[in-house]
Amino acid sequence: MQEKLSKFHTAILIYMTQSGIVVFSIPQMEAKYFGTNGWLILLPIFLLCSFNIFLISSVYRLGKGRSIFDILETSIPKALLIPLYCGLSALWTMIGCLVAKQYMLIFQMLAFPTTNPMIFKAVFDVLALLLLTKGIYNIGKASTIFFGLVIWLSFLLIYFFSDFEWVRITPFVLKGGHDSLNGFLQIYSAFLGYELSLLLFPYVNKNTRLPLAIQSGLMITTINYAAVSLISFGFFGYAMLAETFLPVIDLLAYIELPFVERLENLFYTFVLFSTIITFVMYVWAANESLQRVIPKVPVKWSAVFLIVAAFIVAFIPDVMSQVQSWLHFLTYIEIAVSFGLPLLLIVIILLSSTRKAHTHE
Amino acid sequence: MNKWTRNLLYMLLIVVITGCQDQHILERQGFTQTMSYDLAPEEQVEVTLSVPKADPKSITDREVLTTVASGSKEARIKLSRQSDLQLVSGQLRNVLFGLSLAKQGLAEFTDTLVRDPAIGPHLKLIIVNGHAGQILQKNFSQHPRTGKYIDKLMEKEENDNSVPRTTLLSFVRDYYDDGIDPVAPMIKSLGSSLTTDGIALFKDDKFIAKINSEDALIFAFLRGSLRQGEISLKLEKEAGHADNNESRLRQEIVMLSSIISSRKVKVSNCQNNHCQIDIHLNIEGSVLEYIGNLKLSIPTDRKQLERRMSTDITSKAEKLINYIQKRSVDSLGLGQYVRNSMSFAAWNSLDWKTEYPQIKVNCKVEVIVKNYGKMQ
Repeated sequence: MQEKLSKFHTAILIYMTQSGIVVFSIPQMEAKYFGTNGWLILLPIFLLCSFNIFLISSVYRLGKGRSIFDILETSIPKALLIPLYCGLSALWTMIGCLVAKQYMLIFQMLAFPTTNPMIFKAVFDVLALLLLTKGIYNIGKASTIFFGLVIWLSFLLIYFFSDFEWVRITPFVLKGGHDSLNGFLQIYSAFLGYELSLLLFPYVNKNTRLPLAIQSGLMITTINYAAVSLISFGFFGYAMLAETFLPVIDLLAYIELPFVERLENLFYTFVLFSTIITFVMYVWAANESLQRVIPKVPVKWSAVFLIVAAFIVAFIPDVMSQVQSWLHFLTYIEIAVSFGLPLLLIVIILLSSTRKAHTHE
Repeated sequence: MNKWTRNLLYMLLIVVITGCQDQHILERQGFTQTMSYDLAPEEQVEVTLSVPKADPKSITDREVLTTVASGSKEARIKLSRQSDLQLVSGQLRNVLFGLSLAKQGLAEFTDTLVRDPAIGPHLKLIIVNGHAGQILQKNFSQHPRTGKYIDKLMEKEENDNSVPRTTLLSFVRDYYDDGIDPVAPMIKSLGSSLTTDGIALFKDDKFIAKINSEDALIFAFLRGSLRQGEISLKLEKEAGHADNNESRLRQEIVMLSSIISSRKVKVSNCQNNHCQIDIHLNIEGSVLEYIGNLKLSIPTDRKQLERRMSTDITSKAEKLINYIQKRSVDSLGLGQYVRNSMSFAAWNSLDWKTEYPQIKVNCKVEVIVKNYGKMQ
């Protein structure tokens, strides 16, 4: 019998895909775009993501667990689908690639100011490729282990209780921010990753209870973001938070133990684990899509092709702001995909079932 | 060589060769420990660095470099030219600012410091009553190396709450917050040693006034909660009590130690931009010295002492609040509480900086003697 992803592994996989370095800047985005108590914006975003997950779950239920590619191919000619597959593949590869590049650039800024970040990126890509070629089940298992290596970082928040002051939080709700729409999309993009669960349909069964697993992953992400954000607002105050590039790195830098301090470089490297899962999952999704275009090419070789392509593309944006603006642009498209694709699939399923009903009549 | 050994060797190679980039050889590094900024003519700044030396063959235990430049990073480049070591700021612990520079504003310097990822948020900010560079250049023969001496001195004084703990992060945080103004400890040279010299009060980033060391603990009570400190009070004898006994003492002296204090701020009647602020201080401590006529083992006497200590601290606190208010600096962070008591629109329409000196601030102090030592 073919192996299936378990509920637990799926939830963790979703969480690990969603989380990454964006956690370091999320309080800043909330303060800048939404002002006082900007962390409250996480709630509507959570609800919107939940609605999106409901759409994905509907596709899963209506399509009876069929792969989304199968659903698409039942109603749309393959010739029309090829550009879509190629587009999705390129989009997902690029998102993965830029997330990894952003991680490397921050790593360079913190620890190795004159080292070429592409050296790290090359090593990172080798690791990612090794993981990618092992297939989704092993990615799921690896992400569970990585989760254990990363999640303890959240408990470091306890350290900041002594410097946390409610008076800095202020009773004002979302005042003093600007450009909220842009901010909303940027913060929303920090939750992206769950939409890749669309591609997990063939790898799960009833026992996985996919909707619940995705929702659980989203829940962990939201709780994590909310805790980090609340502590940051009470620690920095919203005005300073809005001006700080990576406030959570500053939080980590604040941790001082009797025998060691300035641990942020060490802690930062742990986030590599969630970044690698994000990268691997996006490239895995891209590969799944690409396989539909070139089914005869072995999966491993198409994975190598995507990783090499991602590596080459990563050479182009070499400044942090450039990477960020590319990433913003691509994540906006991804947000559209995360809603558009399930809606399209639902329409196709409903149309084909009506057509079937008509032919039966 | 089988496949596994070969792969393992490749992995090892990857791990090892990463060390070839961005080398930092310990002996070649100059770990700046203390830095000072002073005002120089023609809008320039004088920067002095103290770098401890790790080389056992060196005659001196530190290197002191000084230069004048138009900005702190330019100064760094100039200073680097003077040293055989590669100057790095990862170990920077203290930064001293001369008083004349502090009067002009520190924002551009704190901005440079906070921007540098190599500099930690625990960096201490200290204001020197005088010329900061001269203090840093000087060797205090009875004390450890100057940078270390300043560091240890400040650490100890902060623990005793004689000066506020002002780090780069806390200064910048208060600078950005519209409901509080930053403060920083002050030091001065006594010739052969250094001493703390009260607390510098800032309006935004500019030095405005100072509080004397004697009032430092009262200030600490008013600024927030604290868990350590001691205060000596001279209590005037109350009428009626004065000459009942044949005491030669005109004043009673009491020393409150191991103090734990907490502050509560209440804002009321915020109408037409006129607020009333009540600060309630709860101070607990042990009486380890008492020179006077009361018997501390008698509850009524103890209550009387507590009441008189409360009255004394209240009057000192009110004087201090008055002094701070007159200088239009919100060093106690009262603005944060006023802000939180009103709507966002009302706070924005309120010109807090102008309104603040006229606000009525009441102070109520409650002193509790936890114990009175080993004697009855």
